[in-house]
Order: sequence, then structure tokens, then C-alpha cells
Amino acid sequence: MTINKHDVRLYPEGIESRWRDLDWEIVGPAPQRPAMNLALDEVLTRRVGHGDRAPLLRFWGWAEPCVVIGRFQSVSNEIHLDRANELGIQIVRRVSGGGAMLIEPESAITYSAYLPPSMVEDLSFQESYAFLDSWIIDALRRLGIDAWYEPLNDITSAGGKIGGAAQARKDQAVLHHTTMAYDMTEGLLTQVLRIGMEKIRDKGIRSAEARVGPLRQQTQMPRDEIIDHLYDSFVELTGASPGALGDAEIAEAEALVDEKFGNDEWTFLLP
Amino acid sequence: MRGDYKTVGGKLVTVNFDLSGGHLTNVQVSGDFFLYPEEALGDIRQALEGLPESEDERSIAARINAAIGPEVEMVGFSPEAVARAVGRGLGRDDQ
Repeated sequence: MTINKHDVRLYPEGIESRWRDLDWEIVGPAPQRPAMNLALDEVLTRRVGHGDRAPLLRFWGWAEPCVVIGRFQSVSNEIHLDRANELGIQIVRRVSGGGAMLIEPESAITYSAYLPPSMVEDLSFQESYAFLDSWIIDALRRLGIDAWYEPLNDITSAGGKIGGAAQARKDQAVLHHTTMAYDMTEGLLTQVLRIGMEKIRDKGIRSAEARVGPLRQQTQMPRDEIIDHLYDSFVELTGASPGALGDAEIAEAEALVDEKFGNDEWTFLLP
Repeated sequence: MRGDYKTVGGKLVTVNFDLSGGHLTNVQVSGDFFLYPEEALGDIRQALEGLPESEDERSIAARINAAIGPEVEMVGFSPEAVARAVGRGLGRDDQ
């Protein structure tokens, strides 16, 4: 008997109502520098945790190409730094764990959810990823993409890995952010990222690039229309109302770019 | 020296270190794992710093366990996975 992966729900039954229990706001994509996107994540997580703003879903816009490495990754172990510099690809470090992502501005779809811990209380880490990614899986399937959640933090499909999520838990809040590949410049991933065989040993595949199945290979829909569809799907699920980033939030994030996310001290924390 | 170990169905942990007088020094622990709270990474690293290269993996894992508080959550890796990465870095075969 084969188990249809699509039908395996990896979180407890009956918690879907939690999406509607919160008064969500939603913000569409506006291009930001990579370090600013990361700084906004820290600021907005803290503000949600301290009750200074409503739970929020924010789509990211990317102003510049970059590699975003995970909180615990080593720059030199993950990145061909000379090649990245030649290509004008910045390196930034995010606050959450997980793996490196190569971002080309029009080729990635990224969003962050900032929520109170009550939404995932009594769930294991794995269940919380499955639960917080469930709406995106449903939304992708409505586009005819055969997608599912793959533990621990992947969103994958019959056509290959689409993306991944990462969580940080701090300041009495949960940050859950997800990046999906919309498109991919062939050969760029392996030029910039070092992906050893050990990492893909249990995946049953021969190369990192062979793992990836960008959305553009699986749907005719332009990137902006996919983002609109995801936005609408989230509003339908949660009743979220359109929000905006406040001037104080933006100012705080800009200060954090100067102090932290734009600095080598943070980026090369693990050299 | 460098050793990598990926927990099956989990995440990769890499341990980089130098050897000096039969002890591990300049230890760096990194990877695409998740760790809460994040500051626990320093405790894991400290548990390996100065470790005799003759130490077996079971006691390396025990040292890591002792160094991190009960509230620490290692997600996608474990003290045993870190110990295996150290073992590989020391050129030891998988058991």
C-alpha cells in the first residue's frame, strides 16, 4: 500500500480554528534591502510578542540579490564567498535557524508570519511547521501544484523541493518565515553555495540543483499573480485586514540594520 | 579539521576545530539545525573546547548533555549527532 503524502496531516486535528482566533493583519510585498528585511523580522516579532501590534503576515520584496544564511551556519562552510562577491551577491544572516537560501529578487517568494506562542502551544516543533505551512500547501494545490510538507521544514512537490520554512522563538513571539523558489538561474546555486554530499545523503538524489522544483516549472502563473493568490488565500483563511508598517517600526528596523544586520560582526558571527 | 554529520530526516551539523597537544581547540559548531534558545550554541561549543582527542563519542555526547540546560531544545540534531561529527573530524569511521 502506498501512502499518499498529500493526505497525511502532521498536526493535531481540530486546531484549524486557531487561524481565525487571532486578529491578523496582512502586508503585501515592498522591495527592501536584504538586511532591512531581516531587521524588520526582528522588530515585528518583538512588537507582536510585546502586544504592541496585531499578529501579522508580511510578504517580502527583494531589492537586491543575496544569500540568507541560517542563524547557526558558518559563512565559509556554506558559501563560495569570492564567487558571491564577484557576482554582487550580498551575504546576510537571519535570526532563525535552517539553511542558506540564494535569493534573486524576482525569483523568490518570501513571507513572514509573526504570531503569539499560544497559536502553537502544545505542538511539537515539527507539528508547528506542518500547521503553520498548511495554508500555503493548500493554496499551492489550488494552483494545481502537487505540493506537500516534508519534515522537518521543507515544502516540496512532485516536481522537486519548492522551499523551506524556519522559525525563531523569542521575545514572547514566534517568527515563522518561508521562502519558495519561483525561478532559478541554472548553475547559479552550485556556483555560490557549497552543498556537500553529506547534506543530501538521505534524500536519494545526486545533486542539490536536482532537488529544486521552482514554481515556474510547475505553473504558468507569473510571480506577482502567485503572490496575489497567496495573499487572498490567507485573507480567506484568517479574515486578515490590510495593514501597513508604521514609521516607528521602519525607523527601528533601519537602526537595527546599522547596528546588526548590515554589519560583518553579525554576518560573520560564525565565520 | 572538519567533520559533518546529518541526522537522518533531520539537519546537518559541522564541527570545525584544530588539534593542539592532543586536545580540540578553536572549535566551531555550525549547521542548518534549529536550537532554542540560540545562546545554547556557546555552551555546546564550550563543551568541546579542550576535549582530549581520545574521548569516545558516548562521553562527548554526555559532556554536551551536561553543558546545556534542561530547557534547551535541539531540533533536527542531537548531542550524539555533534559527537559523530567530531568523530568524523578526527578521522574515526562510523560505527
